[in-house]
Amino acid sequence: MRVVVADDVMLTREGIVRLLQDAGIEVVGQADDAASLLRRVRTTRPDAAVVDIRMPPTHTDEGLIAAGMIRAELPEVGVLILSEYIEPSYAMRLLEEHPERVGYLLKERVFDVALLVDALRRLGDGETVVDPTIVSRLVGRRRRHDPLEELTPREREALELVAEGLSNKAIAARLVVTERTVEAHVKQIFMKLGLDASPDSHRRVLAVLAYLRSAT
Amino acid sequence: MAPRLAIPALAIASAITAVLAADHAAGGGLTSYAGSSGAAGTADVLAGLGLVLAGALAWAQARTRLLGLLAMLAGLAWLGPDWEGWAGAPSLVRSLGAAASFFFLPVLFHMSLALPSGRIGARAGQLAVAVVYAVAAVVSVGGALFRDPFLDPYCWRTCSENAFLLHADPGLASALGEAWTRFALATGVVVVGIGLWRIARATAPARRVLLPALVPLSIAAAGEAAYAIALLRTPLEDPERAGFATIFLVRALSAFGLALGIAWTVLSSRRARSSVARLAAELAEAPPGGTLRDGLGAALGDPGLEVYYWLPGSERYVTADGTPADPPAPGNERAVTPIARGGRTLAVVSHDAALLDGRELEHQIGSAARLAIDNERLQAEVLAQLDELRSSRARIVEAGDAERRRLERNLHDGAQQRLLAVSYDLRIARAAAESDTDPELGRLVTRATAEIEGALGELRELADGIYPSILTEAGLAAALESLADTAPLPVELGELTQERYPAAIESSAYYTVAEATHDAAARGATFAAVAASRSADRLVISVEDDGTGRATPLVHVADRVGALGGEVETGETVLRAELPCA
Repeated sequence: MRVVVADDVMLTREGIVRLLQDAGIEVVGQADDAASLLRRVRTTRPDAAVVDIRMPPTHTDEGLIAAGMIRAELPEVGVLILSEYIEPSYAMRLLEEHPERVGYLLKERVFDVALLVDALRRLGDGETVVDPTIVSRLVGRRRRHDPLEELTPREREALELVAEGLSNKAIAARLVVTERTVEAHVKQIFMKLGLDASPDSHRRVLAVLAYLRSAT
Repeated sequence: MAPRLAIPALAIASAITAVLAADHAAGGGLTSYAGSSGAAGTADVLAGLGLVLAGALAWAQARTRLLGLLAMLAGLAWLGPDWEGWAGAPSLVRSLGAAASFFFLPVLFHMSLALPSGRIGARAGQLAVAVVYAVAAVVSVGGALFRDPFLDPYCWRTCSENAFLLHADPGLASALGEAWTRFALATGVVVVGIGLWRIARATAPARRVLLPALVPLSIAAAGEAAYAIALLRTPLEDPERAGFATIFLVRALSAFGLALGIAWTVLSSRRARSSVARLAAELAEAPPGGTLRDGLGAALGDPGLEVYYWLPGSERYVTADGTPADPPAPGNERAVTPIARGGRTLAVVSHDAALLDGRELEHQIGSAARLAIDNERLQAEVLAQLDELRSSRARIVEAGDAERRRLERNLHDGAQQRLLAVSYDLRIARAAAESDTDPELGRLVTRATAEIEGALGELRELADGIYPSILTEAGLAAALESLADTAPLPVELGELTQERYPAAIESSAYYTVAEATHDAAARGATFAAVAASRSADRLVISVEDDGTGRATPLVHVADRVGALGGEVETGETVLRAELPCA
């Protein structure tokens, strides 16, 4: 797998590069801002770009903007945003604009090389990736009449995995059940929560995230 | 004292002349236009007498004394041809009349620039008036010295002896006469232009004062120009001919109109003066309902009037509400009048120069009124200080926010990045330790990694508590959503404005909701309903909960919102904050 890494802090960027290389991933380019990231991606055509959300010049959402540009220009390149913020708003904005092959992970996820590599592989498969902390923050949001209480513990687990962007097949592997069982769970969850059962697995991630934010 | 009596005496004398002229018009002893028909005679007398009497009226009042002088001069000059054509008069009188008649148009020119007070502000205007008077004087004196009426082929009204004749020179006399006619044509057109220009440029209240005199003045000047054109085309002037007779009637009636306009100007200025006097008396007795500005503005009918109070401490001017403002530079249209008390300037009044004479204002305001104005000045000073205090409070809030943002940014860019870098190294060390098959080292590194992960989490929470970066980057709505994610109780978000506001307003709105929801949780509420919406130029925040009643108001919130000029209302379980966001 070939990736480009963009982070304006050299220490962090080199750390990520080393971890990825140790895990057997080929780092074909490095960038320290959005403009050079776009140049590297255009010339090297990687499988994915690992992008810091904050980059010069304003240090706000350059990473998100660059992600949008890459996804629009080169749809086969996945984008994994690394962020210091547990902000569902940012993850949802990313998914709203480009629901495929995008991911939003907290920077310290990089500790867990297996998770990082798995995320990149999922992007390659066309899935989306949402950091589990963001999902658990949304699930844990306090509600007056929590509709999630209607769910069985197993369904709740499945809901969280759906929100993290996993496909039914991946959920089945994670829960050690058959894919058909997962399908049944998902159908049940969507019915209980009153969500439209969407066949499009990318769209359902955003639908679940939005539901978790708006349910009161 | 002498001119005050002499001028009205002169006015009365000329009035007698006018009456005699009318008398002669009836008897046919007059060869001027006044004698040509009954209507012409009446119009002639109305014009001359009217101007003289309106002038006398204006003369009686200090503010319009100069205007009065001009009007009386215009009246005398207007009656000049009647003296000249008065068959029974001594030749000295007739010759004087002939000389005076040249000054009617120069006086019109003077008035067109000097209305309504009689004074001309601009230096260029004064110069132009002097030039026109000088030309008229040259023609007048030249005619008196060198024109022998008996040698003038076009003479029709004064074929009598010229008492001042020094040397008869028909060529020079007729050249002077023709030059004057052309000059009169040009001057008449210029006066019409000045009149229209001043009417167009005047403010609405000033136009009200200027219009009654300027309009007939412009028509009279147009009449003079028309008269000059007629003379150039038909040198032999004949009052019986329809063209000349009509022009004369227009000239006479517009001159009468000018007399009425001047009288109106004088009376309305007297009214303004008495209302200023009344206001001064009111100020002296008790503070009026409004401010000096409102009172003076209403008394003069000048909505653009402004009073600037001088603050000697900070050496600047403020308006009555304490707003710093500099008085405008005095110009042609606007006058700036200082009001002093005991040698100290209290305030300056900027007003329409056409409506009120500054010296008049200064004269009318007595010492008791000055005390009241000084009190108003002190009040304005207090308001100005209050305003400064308010903006300094807002600056303190803004500075605090900026400091918090800086701290948050430093934590992110400094400590957090370093911890991340260390954790990458540890991750590699762990891999090395595992390959070294040293279980103790591996455990140590694993524990250190977990510690760092914990530290990063705590650091993130700390930074977020210091200043939520999403507030700066995505605005109030996103920040409140995020707040609801981690709030200690269910937070129901109602209407949320998606607009961006100044940083201090957004952060104050955010902290208001944060404090109110924590307070609600502390009072055992099971939920809090939050809304943030824009209402005109206010950002309205409301937080409602179902907890037990609030014992004390949220002082912190009230301080912060108050510092930005907003207001907080707290009920037992309701909080409503309004922040200005114009």
